[in-house]
Amino acid sequence: MSITHTKASELKQRTDAELIHAAREGDHRAFTALVRRYEETVYRFSFKVCRDEQQAAETLQDTFVNVFRKLSSFDGKSKFSTWLFTIVTNNCLMKHRRRKSSAIEEPLEMYDEPPDHEKGPHRPRVARWDKTPEDLLIDSELREQLDAAIQKLPVDYRVVFVLRDIEGNSAEETARVLGISIEATKSRLRRARAFLKSRLDNYLRIHP
Amino acid sequence: MSLPQSCKRVYRFICENLDQTMDSPRCRAIRKHLDDCPDCRTYLDSLKKTVVLYTMLPSPKVPNRVHRKLFRTIALAYEAGGKEPRRPHKRILPKR
Repeated sequence: MSITHTKASELKQRTDAELIHAAREGDHRAFTALVRRYEETVYRFSFKVCRDEQQAAETLQDTFVNVFRKLSSFDGKSKFSTWLFTIVTNNCLMKHRRRKSSAIEEPLEMYDEPPDHEKGPHRPRVARWDKTPEDLLIDSELREQLDAAIQKLPVDYRVVFVLRDIEGNSAEETARVLGISIEATKSRLRRARAFLKSRLDNYLRIHP
Repeated sequence: MSLPQSCKRVYRFICENLDQTMDSPRCRAIRKHLDDCPDCRTYLDSLKKTVVLYTMLPSPKVPNRVHRKLFRTIALAYEAGGKEPRRPHKRILPKR
């Protein structure tokens, strides 16, 4: 049965591949079903990288315009979501470079060393976090600290952290999205996690 | 103060592989080190909590006005026959 005239509820049951095939044949409803399926994912990802609702909205719009224009070139070798993340990540990075602030980004190579190591960021000892994440998140000031910390994280590291740890993509998928090696992906992730932990250490040391 | 080499190796490993299975000989050695090193255990615990905190942070939903603008743009793209869609006009659209 062709899906050209199917109901919206039936479109929801279709796989990405089926919707893509129909959309390429000119089926408007199949394409909008695909957009509905992924709009929250794209917006959430954009917001977590841009940290700004206006920029996330613009990125959402630009991403699906790109998808509309490029859908015929999607070869199906990777998952549709991986291809989509490639487009949205490129849009996020382009926006960031256009609006790049004058803030100096901290070099993250220092986080390759353990915290107590003499060449690493000085810590008198490894800080203990006794509370659970659930308890910690009740603190609205901590939520602000989480936001401030990730905004300080250079965007090339932020996208890796969001793709891997928040969106749950594999190292291989993340490397493919960014066009970098798996080793480089792991290195960026290692530094990003250590950077964020270190920023939160500073807050939790004062507010245990 | 410098940390022992074993702690440096553990540090790199636990940063890269949070929550992954540790069945290889190398990983068993790391696990043994974690059993014996309170600082590395504490470090791993706070690193895991860092990731969990970020996954638990609430995300905003797509605002209605943004959703409507997106679908208006797509409709315009189809009207234009697949050419570059124009930006939608500002007008009141029905709620989704």
